[in-house]
Amino acid sequence: MSGTRLRHPVAAALAVAGYVIMIVPIGFVVATAFTAGSTLRFPPEGLSLTWFGEAVAYSPFMEAVVSSLELAALATALALVLGVPVTLAVHRGRIPGRGLLEGLFLSPLVVPELVVGLALYQQLMIGLHLDNFTTLLLGHTALLLPYAVRVTGASLALADPALEEAARGLGASPVRAFFTVTLPMLRPGLVSAGLLGFVTSFNNVPLSLLLQTRDFRTLPVTMLDYVQQSYDPMVAAASTLVLAATVVVAVVAERTVGFAKIFGGINR
Amino acid sequence: MRARSTLLLLLPGLAFLLVGFLLPAVAMLFAPPGVTFAQVIERMGAMLTDPYDLGIVWRTVRIGLVVTAVCVLLGFPIASLLARSRSRWAGVLLALAIFPLLLSNVVRTFGWLVVLGSNGVIGQLLTGLGLVEKAPQLLYTELAIVLGLVQLFLPLAVITCYSAVAQVDPGLEEAARGLGASRTRTFWSILVPLSLPGVVVAATLVFAGSVTAYTTPYLLGGSSQRMLSTQLFSYASVTVDWAAASATAVVMTVLVFLVSGISALVGRKGAVS
Amino acid sequence: MTTPAAELVGVTQRFGSFTAVDAVDLRIPRGRLTTLLGPSGCGKTTTLRMLAGYATPTSGRILIDGQDATRTPPEKRDLGMVFQSYALFPHLTVADNVAYGLTMRKVPAPERRRRAAEALELVGLGHLGDRRPKQLSGGQQQRVALARAVAVRPRLLLLDEPLSNLDARLRVQMRAEIRRIQSETGLTVVLVTHDQDEALEMSDEMVLMRAGKVVQSGAPRDVFPAPADRFVAEFLGYENFLTLADGREAAVRPEHLRVVTADAPLDGRVDDVVLDAVVRDVAYRGVDVLVTLDATDPAGTAVRLVADHRAEDETPAPSPGARVRLVAPRARLALLTPAAPAAAPATAPEGNR
Ligand SMILES: Nc1ncnc2c1ncn2[C@@H]1O[C@H](COP(=O)(O)OP(=O)(O)OP(=O)(O)O)[C@@H](O)[C@H]1O
Ligand SMILES: [Mg+2]
Repeated sequence: MSGTRLRHPVAAALAVAGYVIMIVPIGFVVATAFTAGSTLRFPPEGLSLTWFGEAVAYSPFMEAVVSSLELAALATALALVLGVPVTLAVHRGRIPGRGLLEGLFLSPLVVPELVVGLALYQQLMIGLHLDNFTTLLLGHTALLLPYAVRVTGASLALADPALEEAARGLGASPVRAFFTVTLPMLRPGLVSAGLLGFVTSFNNVPLSLLLQTRDFRTLPVTMLDYVQQSYDPMVAAASTLVLAATVVVAVVAERTVGFAKIFGGINR
Repeated sequence: MRARSTLLLLLPGLAFLLVGFLLPAVAMLFAPPGVTFAQVIERMGAMLTDPYDLGIVWRTVRIGLVVTAVCVLLGFPIASLLARSRSRWAGVLLALAIFPLLLSNVVRTFGWLVVLGSNGVIGQLLTGLGLVEKAPQLLYTELAIVLGLVQLFLPLAVITCYSAVAQVDPGLEEAARGLGASRTRTFWSILVPLSLPGVVVAATLVFAGSVTAYTTPYLLGGSSQRMLSTQLFSYASVTVDWAAASATAVVMTVLVFLVSGISALVGRKGAVS
Repeated sequence: MTTPAAELVGVTQRFGSFTAVDAVDLRIPRGRLTTLLGPSGCGKTTTLRMLAGYATPTSGRILIDGQDATRTPPEKRDLGMVFQSYALFPHLTVADNVAYGLTMRKVPAPERRRRAAEALELVGLGHLGDRRPKQLSGGQQQRVALARAVAVRPRLLLLDEPLSNLDARLRVQMRAEIRRIQSETGLTVVLVTHDQDEALEMSDEMVLMRAGKVVQSGAPRDVFPAPADRFVAEFLGYENFLTLADGREAAVRPEHLRVVTADAPLDGRVDDVVLDAVVRDVAYRGVDVLVTLDATDPAGTAVRLVADHRAEDETPAPSPGARVRLVAPRARLALLTPAAPAAAPATAPEGNR
């Protein structure tokens, strides 16, 4: 922390400990991924890219990557398409019980995801015989709706309502005013909510856990199962690839809306 | 906007929320397949008396409390150092603290297998230095779960505390210093009380996350250190005991609601005084 | 007689149990500049918003060009509005902002560009078309908002306190500018303001409002010297009120009260009001000296009065405690009709918006 004035030595020590716990284990994942050996041993036995090759060639992983990307993209898009109208209604509509309504749409955040997963598994997959992809899509969309509503809502709250009125006064119909004025105002919120939603869905374990079938499995759950069964460094390599992809997403996030802002939006 | 168009805007979202969340959640409680509501209640009663089940509840709460305390203890100093720093490194360090939030929990937790495993970093270090004969059992302990959960939720604690600290006017701290308070005194008498509501929020989020997390207790706790989440999974997927699964789900949800409720009350009181 | 450009007939707006605009009848003359003047919270913005179609009256009718437009949505009214916050679209360039209304009217691109450029030229910003609103000063933003509203050649140009976000000098400059644009384009303009100087200087027709009602309207030349009641008088800067010998109430402006020595010869007309007074306080203000006095009015009531004493007057300003004589020329006395019991205090309480 050169350049930062270290205030109190105790505070500084706690902060360093915090960073060690947050970051160091991730470093070890990367380090073991490059091992030439066949166990999760540290220090690694030799250096090679073998396990990356293995991971990429391992078809359950690759299929799961495709499935997870598909699910995350669809759920994010759906959550935005459903969430933006809700945001508009909550912020611009004249309705009683606005707070209650917003609370309703944020409610998936407060119920444990594993519990929601159990409910969907039991009621939709077993009870109504829905296929697991549809169930996953429903669940992930409901999970992402709060992000969409809250983050785009924060964008909308910043926009002057007079902008839409000005557009109407200049001859734009309500729909036209939405597309030419409101939507561009919402852009940062849409990007934030989209990124956040995509990452949340892609990484999700608790909600997806019970909703897996042989035909459609998500990546994190597939990796989890693999770790439980065999103890080789292939998952380290797969993890490193996921890490690399996440870094790319983070850079995109930083370049478009700013990293801290994205997460500012989910704070209560 | 007219009431009718407002309703039209709400309807699709509402429909999804009902089908994808609300209705199944309620139905799970009242009508699990082939089980009655009374049986769920009965199972819940049994859970709160059976020593094994009760042990799991207690372990979950205990781990949740420890993780929350550690996250606040580590997160608040990080947040206050970053929020009050004028260095350009502060931005980088903040990004570094936030980044793990984007990263898969499986990847993050997997790191602990490498660190704590029998051939892992710590074991090798201790045996290599000749400090111990045989590497101690670190994995599949409560300590492992706590470490894993702290790693998982510390970023959340940091950004939540960060926004709390950032909105305290630094002028207040300068005023306190000007009035003769030492740096430490200023920290405890100005910064801590003023950012307390944010800290309460951070603690609530961390606790709720810890007692419901699945990946960490599954990978680092194994079957010997069951928490409510891993137990719930096993009821639903291994033994297929719907009454027990629903009962566990209710206990877990009530636990989260209880703590959120208490913290909302504490937060409101804090805001008044 | 031509139809007015717009007309409000018994228009009332209620928010819950609160009546913001109360049975207002108003005719907006074509090709003129009308100001709505009144204290904060008296319902000016609400009136303007109903005229523009952003709010629907609880009761009453709104006619535009003689046609009923009470329930016509704003985009079908063909009006131009300048918001107090300007409401410039931050994601569009200045030129695209100005062209927005033309795009909505499906004006072909070449003509659109030409007319937008023309409108920008009219407000003297022809060279800034490529900028974003954020890159402009407050005064320039205000002009862009004006150009955007004018570019569609609206049937009515509505301005809600267009000058209140500008600094004092710019505000005075823009008054003339808006007048110039109005006379060059021949537009019918309705301007909301709470500044009586602005209203007096700019209006062809001024409408004074109080607590949701119109209290007086007319040309500034007719309204200013003859405020209808005490509320209007106070709002127009009459600070002295006295009761005449015949029991009627009259208002006098400080600059029309002459302070002379107690023994000065009375050279005015016989019906001038002359009062004996004691100077309480003297405040130097550069161009003038403000003299506060205690006097007894012709009806025998003790009154506190203020008089402007010009620095260049031949008689020096009196000092506190001095016994003097006050002269109010008859022609300067505004006779008031007894004010109806006030429905609300002249200055509305806080909590507007
Ligand atoms: N949407 C609303 N809901 C409730 N009350 C409102 C609403 N809009 C305006 N009011 C009230 O109506 C009254 C008139 O408001 P309006 O904005 O028309 O005043 P104004 O004359 O424009 O004042 P100002 O000079 O402060 O802008 C105010 O008391 C205001 O509080
Ligand atoms: Mg107003």
